Amino acid sequence: MKKIIRLTINNQSHEIAVEPNLTLADMLRYQLALTGTKKGCDTGDCGACTVIMDGNAVNSCLVLAVQANGSVIETIEGLTTAEGLAPLQEAFVEKGAIQCGFCSPGMILSAKNLLDKNPNPSEQEIREGISGNLCRCTGYQKIFEAIESQSS
Amino acid sequence: MLLPTFEFHEPLSIKDALKLKKSLGEDAKLLAGGTDLLVHLKKKLITTNNLISLSGIKALSLITKEKNAVIIGSCTTMTQLSSTPIIQKNFPALKAGCDNLGTHLIRNRATIGGNACNASPAGDTLPALLIYDALALLETSDKKREIPMADFFTGPGKSCIQPDEILTGFRLPIPGKNSGAHYIQLGKRKSSEINLVNVAAFLKYDPDTKKIIDARIALGSVAATPIRSPKAESTLMGQTPEEACFFAAGEMARREDCHPIDDFRGSARYRQAMVGVLTKRTLTRAYELARSACI
Amino acid sequence: MNKFDVISTRAHRIDTPDKATGQAMFTDDLCRPGQLYGVLLQSPHPHARILSIDTSKAVNLPGVKSVITHEQAGYIKYGVSPARYDETVFAIDKVRYVGDEIAAVAAVSLDIALKALSLIKVKYELLPAVFTVEDATKKGAPQLHENSPGNLCAEVHQEFGDVAAALKTCDIIKTSTMKNKRQDGAFIEMQGCLAEFDNRGLLTLVSSTQVPHYVQRTVAMVLGMDVGKVRVKKPYVGAGFGIKAAACPMELACCILARETKKPVKMNFTREQVFMYSRARHQFTHTITTGAKKDGTLMAIKHECCLDGGAYTSFGIATVYYTGSLLGGPYKIANMSYDGKRVYNNKPACGAQRGHGAVIARALFEQQMDMIAEEIGMDPMELRIKNMMDTGDTTCNDLNMSSFGMSECIEAVRIGSNWDKKKGNMPRGKGIGMACGFFVSGAGYPIYRSDTYHGTVIIKLTEDGGTALVYTASAEIGQGSDTAFAMIAAEALGIPLDNVRLASGDTDMGVDLGAYSSRQTLMTGHAVKQAADHAKTQVLEVLAEQLLVPLEKLDIKKGFIEFAGDTPDFSALRTRYIKEHRGWIDNPDSKKLTFKEASRIAFLEKGSIVGTGKYKPHNLGGKFKGAAVGTSPAYGCSAQVAEVTVDMETGQVTIDNITDAHDCGKAINLTAVEGQMEGSVSMGIGEAMHEEVIFNDKGQVLNNDLAEYKIVTSVDMPRVKTIVVESCEPNGPYGAKEVGEGAIMPTIPAILNAVYNATGVRINELPLTPERVFFAIQDYKAKMAK
Repeated sequence: MKKIIRLTINNQSHEIAVEPNLTLADMLRYQLALTGTKKGCDTGDCGACTVIMDGNAVNSCLVLAVQANGSVIETIEGLTTAEGLAPLQEAFVEKGAIQCGFCSPGMILSAKNLLDKNPNPSEQEIREGISGNLCRCTGYQKIFEAIESQSS
Repeated sequence: MLLPTFEFHEPLSIKDALKLKKSLGEDAKLLAGGTDLLVHLKKKLITTNNLISLSGIKALSLITKEKNAVIIGSCTTMTQLSSTPIIQKNFPALKAGCDNLGTHLIRNRATIGGNACNASPAGDTLPALLIYDALALLETSDKKREIPMADFFTGPGKSCIQPDEILTGFRLPIPGKNSGAHYIQLGKRKSSEINLVNVAAFLKYDPDTKKIIDARIALGSVAATPIRSPKAESTLMGQTPEEACFFAAGEMARREDCHPIDDFRGSARYRQAMVGVLTKRTLTRAYELARSACI
Repeated sequence: MNKFDVISTRAHRIDTPDKATGQAMFTDDLCRPGQLYGVLLQSPHPHARILSIDTSKAVNLPGVKSVITHEQAGYIKYGVSPARYDETVFAIDKVRYVGDEIAAVAAVSLDIALKALSLIKVKYELLPAVFTVEDATKKGAPQLHENSPGNLCAEVHQEFGDVAAALKTCDIIKTSTMKNKRQDGAFIEMQGCLAEFDNRGLLTLVSSTQVPHYVQRTVAMVLGMDVGKVRVKKPYVGAGFGIKAAACPMELACCILARETKKPVKMNFTREQVFMYSRARHQFTHTITTGAKKDGTLMAIKHECCLDGGAYTSFGIATVYYTGSLLGGPYKIANMSYDGKRVYNNKPACGAQRGHGAVIARALFEQQMDMIAEEIGMDPMELRIKNMMDTGDTTCNDLNMSSFGMSECIEAVRIGSNWDKKKGNMPRGKGIGMACGFFVSGAGYPIYRSDTYHGTVIIKLTEDGGTALVYTASAEIGQGSDTAFAMIAAEALGIPLDNVRLASGDTDMGVDLGAYSSRQTLMTGHAVKQAADHAKTQVLEVLAEQLLVPLEKLDIKKGFIEFAGDTPDFSALRTRYIKEHRGWIDNPDSKKLTFKEASRIAFLEKGSIVGTGKYKPHNLGGKFKGAAVGTSPAYGCSAQVAEVTVDMETGQVTIDNITDAHDCGKAINLTAVEGQMEGSVSMGIGEAMHEEVIFNDKGQVLNNDLAEYKIVTSVDMPRVKTIVVESCEPNGPYGAKEVGEGAIMPTIPAILNAVYNATGVRINELPLTPERVFFAIQDYKAKMAK
């Protein structure tokens, strides 16, 4: 039986009817067309579906939509402002940290969550802070550089 | 991948959760962080018609200090534990376990109660719970009981929790002065690992005699459950803490206390060999911490 | 100073702002009104005869729109190489691996489609299965394919020079054996597709593919359609690394379901299915004998290899040839023999993956180089430079090194890694090692033999002037080809990159063989440059006529018309342009005539200005059988130094540093070149250290997820010092050649040589798990103690 959930996504409140077995990732992608949240495994191993939920980066494929009731969600679509790309997104473009781009939304959200919590992370903290986001293209090097460039 | 269909229940108190558990029967599954349970459901390794989410029960996510102990709610996440000063200060081996579990994304959801209930022999927080002499706090609608973690696990994926019971948390006695503890794990890569071997150790020594007066070692991934290493522990008692006795304890743990098996992740032979190395190293570090805490 | 205005810079990629914001659309991000969801029924058995398939219950499930088996899909065989078409969309008489496709369902929801799958009843007669090369080649082993006795899929026997005679003259002969493990592509986007027929019978397949062209041909062939009635488009693709370089059964099933239902049908692999489909790097077992003189001169290579191929050929024939041919360089070797075979068994088929065929041969051979260097007391870099080919040299198997910065790469990593200071001075447990490698910049022929152009490009100037639209059927899959081609177009036209738009990945745009064998920069790049030159010439011809200036005195630079000598009076043209532009406020007032004015005037005179370009390689060398695999218009080359720490008690290897130099000819985009190098290194590290697909004794993949199949994480990856070495490739556009695959070649042997340096132990099997390294050290200690 569907349940009504209320939550805030990218500063906008939503009231949505969802099946209990719908994941947050599938709700964002297929019910709200927020397809910037990607699915690369569906089992919490790759991090492509990363969103920030109540201030913590999580695998949205391992969160039920009903569990997100009452929470505040940030997806990649919420980073862009009226001025355009957020500075962190700009840094990813500028440093060449994006190749195929499939891991990028999740990667950027993990990086944002890291910098929100720790504005001046060490190299090891950056590595740990994106360790759940697999990238098969870049070897992570330019991703480090992009995140480093945004630390204060 | 689709999840099977199920009813979702979200009680707001332990009492309500217990009521639901009783009325829905054994088939109902408790959902904490979901990082294992939802994967198992997606992969059809388990099925259920009813999921009881514990996220709505605030009391289960608290870390509270009693006089000589810390109570950790079963739904406390790895991230929460790792960033709580009382844990950092008193239970470094537990913090190390939390920091090593899964990835940063998993740690933001995975709970210590979930890690214990999942009862994987390789579970990252479990050796620490064993060496800190943690008690599991179990509740049914009419009674509460406390079980030493050493008696908690009954097999791979199995624990002594009864069908009508809920694991509400753990009581960890605060280690006294002149003690230290540490946790080390070994995997094929440096993140998101399913451990090949993981070891936690606790040491306490008498600053006057400079002898070891308490030693606890827990081994993961080398038996059907996480286990204590009693023979290795006993070799340490009354010894002067130094490399030779840590090595001897490692050798004892390797020879006598572990019973690993072969699987596709690694051979029993290798795991056994690593028990020796990791035990020695964990003890060495635990002693360093004990000493530096004393200074 | 950079003589170029656009290329050879660090221009931002044109696709990444959309990728950074989540706007970029990948296949599963698309949906069509009324679309159905398709799923595949795959064999649970590794080898079985199909006795019957009963779909009646599935067909009758409400919400199910179509259930198809070989009865609907037909009997047409397809594959990668026409010589070995050995697959049908669905199994007909038997299944040959766990995952072999049997049927497919389309339904109104994924849930119903999956339910319907469980209602299809297949009766099997189980057959004995074989999972290893050894078992598959035993006498009396079960046979997978009727026409392949002994389960032999392909074999190659080549000899150049006289190996036996040359070995007799050698002072040092090294023989060793090595094997790797089957890999998985582990791209983050799982394969997906969306097929739809319009009401005139045009099929449009949107797919996560590297090769829209080959998919188009295969779909047309299997569905019995005219190629002109099949359009294949690739949106953004979450990488492929070779695995997505051929039509897959899901794409074909999706098209058939769309035909049967007259509805759009979407299908996706799960991660488990990605592993089941496989098609990634083979497991290779190599034995190589290398002979040298005591001064270090290499004399001969004798090479034997066996490939564990899986159930079907896929790219296998090309693989088995590449395995041999790419040992021909980069050193001068007059005598080389190769005996390779690929064997079928009841596992998923292997295919092509970054560094196709050549990675493990290179990994073994580069270790032997170090063994020889050690024995004669020569620095490994010196030995390599001593034997190095020179620019213009041709290998014994006819690979011509038309540009060749290999020695420069070695020098760059020697200095970059501080090799001279470190080599020989590392404490026990720490080691340093190096290796070289090279790779093709595209193959001489398409996979089907044809005289077709390998790439055609159209550039149209917008009718208002000022913007160039590039149309190419090439495939951007993450490597940066769209940006490279936009940059080449801008450079050739003489306009800023901002004024170039590009559309790619659509078979309606022309022919392009796609993203594989590191071909696009060189091949499609040529066609882009030619199309741009063609468009530019047409604009300048109009100007020459209008201004009465000889054509050769005209050029376009940075968006302005340049006149050699005096600038003629162009005010009449400007007035005409401004009149055309009445009411607008951005009328040109520059001292120079703008490209925008010129191209508008050209349109007014001639209509749409369309430039076309095309490319196919010149006749490449080699008359012998198999010469087409390995010969290429150009070769990229690289050298790497790895530094490692080995925990002698646990066997854990930590890679501390990698120094990587690559000669990519002229770097079109320096940042993108570095990105390919760093990505190659990370894939090489994964294969060296912890990646392997593991099967149980029933032919099922045990580690079919990204938790247990261990690619490199951010914590495992060392810092890479990336050094771009530029040569000028005469066969490349602006001198450019490959980087995407050559850069993986030295990674594995450099690590193995470093581990040897740290431990004194040679390890002849991958991956270097702590366990494998630990026991290798133990065995070595035991041997030493004797």
